[in-house]
Amino acid sequence: MKTLEEIENLSLEELEQKAAETAAPVPDGLERRLRQALAARELADAARPRPARWIPYASLAVAAAAAALVVLPQRGPKDTFDDPLLAYAEVEKAFQTISNKMSVGMDIVRDAEQTAGMPYNTLNKIQK
Amino acid sequence: MKRIIILFAALLLTVSAFAQNGKSIYQKYSDAENVSAVYVSPAMFRLIGQIPDLEVGDDNVNLTPVIRSLSGLYILNSENETVNGSLRADAERFINSGKYELLMEAKDSGEVVRMYTLGNDRTIEGFVMLAAEANEVTFICLDGQMPRKDFEALLSKEMNK
Repeated sequence: MKTLEEIENLSLEELEQKAAETAAPVPDGLERRLRQALAARELADAARPRPARWIPYASLAVAAAAAALVVLPQRGPKDTFDDPLLAYAEVEKAFQTISNKMSVGMDIVRDAEQTAGMPYNTLNKIQK
Repeated sequence: MKRIIILFAALLLTVSAFAQNGKSIYQKYSDAENVSAVYVSPAMFRLIGQIPDLEVGDDNVNLTPVIRSLSGLYILNSENETVNGSLRADAERFINSGKYELLMEAKDSGEVVRMYTLGNDRTIEGFVMLAAEANEVTFICLDGQMPRKDFEALLSKEMNK
């Protein structure tokens, strides 16, 4: 048995040589047990649900689609008229159409007003 | 996580599929047979407003503020029986999905006319007219920032013509 002082005085080469001479004994069946442990670990890993790899990509794709819907300019329809005067005429025609349709409603209201006023007028005539 | 993403994607698709507006309805039906379509773009409205010698008003009503405030006009007139029902349904879906307020409804001799506005007491941001007869449907949609006062004055002027 070497003292600590003797060991400290050994060179690196001597230390390596000593280490190589005294190989540590391997316990019986260690290799088999290691293989079994590794195999069991692999089985456990396989059984555990793994996070799907496509989830981040799908998230990115959804986010990109949402951004595209919001940010990208949507292709609009083509102007029907090239001439502003023609376009103006069409706008006026549209307002005329709206007014005509509104007139239908107003006519109904006027008719209703006349009908509703008839009893009142009749009462007035009787009182006179 | 997977379920959340699938749900989110489905929601996105559903929202985009059902998001209707004047433009999308116009684009859907403007090329159909027996459907006449007119679109006036914001750029064209700006051009109309810049025509120097255009008579855009009279003593009582000035059309200029209305014209300048418009940013889109979509007109569809369909005499296509297969399109009529679908057009009407899409227009009603569009109206119901927004904050449109019923301005007027008139039913006369089988014709149903409904007018809707979107906006507040001072400004009309959208106007929709849907007129449906037995074999004809008319859809007019105006977008913009129209002063309500001018818009109503314009309509009443036209009605008194």
